[in-house]
Amino acid sequence: MEYILTIMVLIAIFVILASSYNLVIGYGGLATVAHPIFYALGAYTSALLGIHFGLPAVVCVLAGAIVAIVASVLLALSALRVAGDYLLIASLGFQLGLLQVIKNFEFTGGPGGISAIPNTITGPWRTPVYLLICGSIAALTVWLIARIVHGPYGRAITAMRDEELAFSALGRNAMTIKVVVFAIGCGIAGIAGGLYAFYFQYVSPEQFEVLHSAAMLTMVVLGGMGTTMGPVVGAVMLIAIPQAITFLNLPPAVMAPMQGIIFTTLVMLFLFLRPAGLVGGLSKDRMAGRTATEKSSAGAAE
Amino acid sequence: MTVVLRVENLNKAFGGIVVADNVNIEISKGEILGLIGPNGAGKTSLFNLISGVLKPDSGHIHLNGRRIDGLPLYRRARIGIARTWQNMLLFTTMTVMENLLIAPRSYPGESIFKLTLARESVRQAEVEARKRAMQILDRVGLAGTADAMVTDLPFGHQKLIGLSRALMNDGDLLLLDEPMAGVEGAAYETMQRVVRQEAEAGRAVCVVEHNVSFIKDLCTRAVFMSNGRILQAGTVDELLASKVLTDLYFGV
Repeated sequence: MEYILTIMVLIAIFVILASSYNLVIGYGGLATVAHPIFYALGAYTSALLGIHFGLPAVVCVLAGAIVAIVASVLLALSALRVAGDYLLIASLGFQLGLLQVIKNFEFTGGPGGISAIPNTITGPWRTPVYLLICGSIAALTVWLIARIVHGPYGRAITAMRDEELAFSALGRNAMTIKVVVFAIGCGIAGIAGGLYAFYFQYVSPEQFEVLHSAAMLTMVVLGGMGTTMGPVVGAVMLIAIPQAITFLNLPPAVMAPMQGIIFTTLVMLFLFLRPAGLVGGLSKDRMAGRTATEKSSAGAAE
Repeated sequence: MTVVLRVENLNKAFGGIVVADNVNIEISKGEILGLIGPNGAGKTSLFNLISGVLKPDSGHIHLNGRRIDGLPLYRRARIGIARTWQNMLLFTTMTVMENLLIAPRSYPGESIFKLTLARESVRQAEVEARKRAMQILDRVGLAGTADAMVTDLPFGHQKLIGLSRALMNDGDLLLLDEPMAGVEGAAYETMQRVVRQEAEAGRAVCVVEHNVSFIKDLCTRAVFMSNGRILQAGTVDELLASKVLTDLYFGV
């Protein structure tokens, strides 16, 4: 039971990560691979503040989010000033470089990471309480992002992604919107990091490698990029399915490559069968709606 | 007459290609100025310089007496430069109404602070923008398409939506880049009527157009550009009578 609850905590954390990544990359159209490093900034900041200053967990997690926001604004301001595409390269450099820094500093625990992060909730209810907290924050994240991407602000984000030149020439400040969307997304990743640190009481650099942005991206794409519920479905699927097969009691030689095989198979299947993602085809999302009308009008023309 | 736009000694070159060679232009309130010339003459580049897409190498641009050549694109739109694009640049995943709602000079909905702390003002702005958008769509005869996806409309209607979106900006200067290209029939009439009404209402309008009869019908004054330079300015009839210009233009 404990095991299943822990998986659910992990799912909640990845719902937060995938949703915020979707805000940045799916809605904002900002190509970045640095999401894991903002997750790391949140985790390490919370861990260090918790260990060395004994601050309350809530304060530590919020401080982690603020560090992630400040770092993301600095990255966005410098990278986006040059050109939109530059962000991808700059984010890659930022991700790889900062992780190296974390691996090599004494106070971050080097490659071994940080353990003995204070336990904030004790007793038999620890895991359920954490699940409740993480689940609530995940729900709050999904709600908040839905609020942002619908209504006047969402309209601005969509228009900017569609046609940035025309958007700016109408008097809209594209740079500010990009930086704000990036900062909100990265700040939320920072919160996910803080939750991770306090639940598992251990953080290490390899949890924040650049490859994790591929995992997050897969969640976003499989679930449905640019949809509110897509990343939720994606995160649940991609964490639950690999965990579920461990119950099959397969020999370790078969188990080990199994995760990679499932991952790749899912991506391939979705690319061919459901390119708009699992939720993408179902929702009334406009992109999906467009594809549907285009198909039907093409069909009518034949 | 009040001068709305004054362009002084404007220069711009991309390497060896000169798109603006000491350009001087004035447009007054209520005037429709035609900008004609062969392809590559620098007409669209001049629009880009005025609206702020491009920065000039030298020279000044004044809007209502205020120097604007240092301002970024979005600020110039806010102080009153509305423009359309040769290839429209509509927001293709949005409806007609949404294309218009994003376009007023002031859009408090783009600020997270106003969205959280001054929600009433955002709501108010939305209501007003919606009202204005319906009025404009009514004027171009497309009120019925408000909720249609903009890409589902025929080309002539998309052109009118491009104009309508620019009209959401109630500034003093309106720049129209080939509004008639590919437009015919009823949409043509509408385009002509609306542009004329905008000038009558006091806007300074500048039109880049290859359709000579459109220029003839609407503009009192026109300038002829070639290779980034203004070769001649005058009434439309004067320009059309000039053999040098018509030879250049029609490539005879």
